[in-house]
Amino acid sequence: MTQGKRYWVLAGAILLMGAVRMSFEEGLTQELREVKLLPPKLEIETGEKLGQTFSAVSLGGLRTLVATFFNLRAQIFFEQQKWADVAETYDLIVDLAPCTRYYWDTGTWHLAYNAASHYLYESDLPPLRRKALWKNYIVAGRDFLERGIRNNPDDAQLLERMGSLMADPNKIKAFGEPGDAFQASCDAYHAAVATGNSRSYTIRAALYSLVRVPGKEVESLELLKKIRSKQKVSQPSIMALHYALEYQRDPNQDVLDLVDRVFTNRRGAYQILSRQWMRGQDRFPMHGVARAIGLLEVELGVSEEKSVLKQPLPTPVDPDDYFRRR
Amino acid sequence: MSIQQMTSHLSRVGVIMHHSFTQLVRMKVFYFLAFFAVILIASNFFNLPQHEGPEVAGAHVLTSIKSWSLGAMTLFSVVLSIVATALLLPKDVEDRTLYTILAKPVPRIDYLAGKLLGVMSLVFVSLLIMDVLMVAILQLRMNLVLDTQVALAVASGWPAADVENLKKEIISQGPTLSLQGAVFAVFLRSMVIASFALMISTFSTSTLFTTIVSFLIYFIGHFQADARMIYMNQAFGSDDGWLSQSIGLLVALVLPDFQIFNVIDAVVQGKLMPLAVMAELAGMGLFYFGFYLFASWFIFAEKEF
Repeated sequence: MTQGKRYWVLAGAILLMGAVRMSFEEGLTQELREVKLLPPKLEIETGEKLGQTFSAVSLGGLRTLVATFFNLRAQIFFEQQKWADVAETYDLIVDLAPCTRYYWDTGTWHLAYNAASHYLYESDLPPLRRKALWKNYIVAGRDFLERGIRNNPDDAQLLERMGSLMADPNKIKAFGEPGDAFQASCDAYHAAVATGNSRSYTIRAALYSLVRVPGKEVESLELLKKIRSKQKVSQPSIMALHYALEYQRDPNQDVLDLVDRVFTNRRGAYQILSRQWMRGQDRFPMHGVARAIGLLEVELGVSEEKSVLKQPLPTPVDPDDYFRRR
Repeated sequence: MSIQQMTSHLSRVGVIMHHSFTQLVRMKVFYFLAFFAVILIASNFFNLPQHEGPEVAGAHVLTSIKSWSLGAMTLFSVVLSIVATALLLPKDVEDRTLYTILAKPVPRIDYLAGKLLGVMSLVFVSLLIMDVLMVAILQLRMNLVLDTQVALAVASGWPAADVENLKKEIISQGPTLSLQGAVFAVFLRSMVIASFALMISTFSTSTLFTTIVSFLIYFIGHFQADARMIYMNQAFGSDDGWLSQSIGLLVALVLPDFQIFNVIDAVVQGKLMPLAVMAELAGMGLFYFGFYLFASWFIFAEKEF
């Protein structure tokens, strides 16, 4: 066989070998995607996206290393308060390393906390513009975190971060109706618990969010009882909530009897309920709290002028106050 | 083929492999291990900006050590495989060693297999040394992080179950079997690219041509899966043009799929690599290696010098 013919035979063999291995390679690729060892299928829509995915794919084996360097670049943008660049860089970083919790977490922190706070406290822009940007960055942070959760549905800590963000009193106004935000927060905490990798406080955090959803008192009480039956709970806030939810269930019951059932002693109950009363701005239910405090103050001999019910309550957090100041 | 003939083949391949390995070692390629050690030490001091609580302090450095080490291994192994293989035949022609060998009753397949296995031995030894260094540093650092964080968690009154979860998470970022699987994937990928470079070098006229083409194929090969997807989508009624489909099909048929070896990135991020996946990757790597070696022999068998 001449050398020329050999080249033609080789070309044919390569094509044949390609046809033989094609279905096996496709199957293996699908399998690797299913076990998350390969990133999901590319969605090439724009030239910009092509640029990003090109780097993501062609840097096979170096992607996490390159992501580290982009993270340093994002840190510089953060120090320079170039928030649009921070957002863009984190989009690229998570394209390169979609399973690294740190990048999703840090990207969310920069957008929803740092960028939003910049427009709340520091920016010289007109108030309306600042307010719009403040809201946009909080929502962008939430959307970024949602993407992170979609990429890593078993990551309890990302879900916990979502729960914390949605219930943050400084951010909640950006999400629209507070009840919906607290429900979303509760759902995120529950999803974290469902992964089986959450920390023990997560279920309590779910309760703290659920009790602040209007009309969810019954579910909250059920969850609270479930928590108290499974964990040795000594947190004052849990006891205070237990009292408020039980009172709400039956407002005609004997208040001091209820106090005795929920708390270990009446002096401790007074201190816990007083602190809870002063946290009115946190939107926790206060059913029967004032009534119990009044009865306990009489019993413990607290003078009327020293009554906690007469103390001025802390002003609720309202971002609009900051936007009005300048 | 009788056992005696088989032993004779293996013996010849072994001699050529050993010679090829020694030849490459004399080119002082192991000097890059010093660079690797520097990279590894540097990755130890590379702290990412920290915004979480002290309970996670130091954990990110484990990912950093893995990504720097595996990144360096990938770079070194790919460059070494391509350049060393591209040098094989031209250097033997230049030194006239090739004529001496081929004048003897040495089948050309034995010569090619020996040469290629010599390169692969060099890559294997290099990766082994780098792997041992990485595992040692990672183990030391993981123990430090584990001690610090567990002590902090216990002092903060974390429940035992939470402390246990914390331990598990830190250990999963340390030296695991999946990490060894990732190093193995790096080796398999260099095996494929080296055998491909050998095939190119059998009809190429210069080392530079072989090197450039191999690097190009290496990069384009990372998109082979996407080319295959374009072709397959067409088969399922996508409206991509016939030109895209044809190019997709051609790339999918001709080029090796390097993307399947990209499991390294997921392992660095803490994902588990099942043994079955390792076996499938090994099978795929050996299939490519065998085919390209055979293809190289097919071109080289009657080539005149």
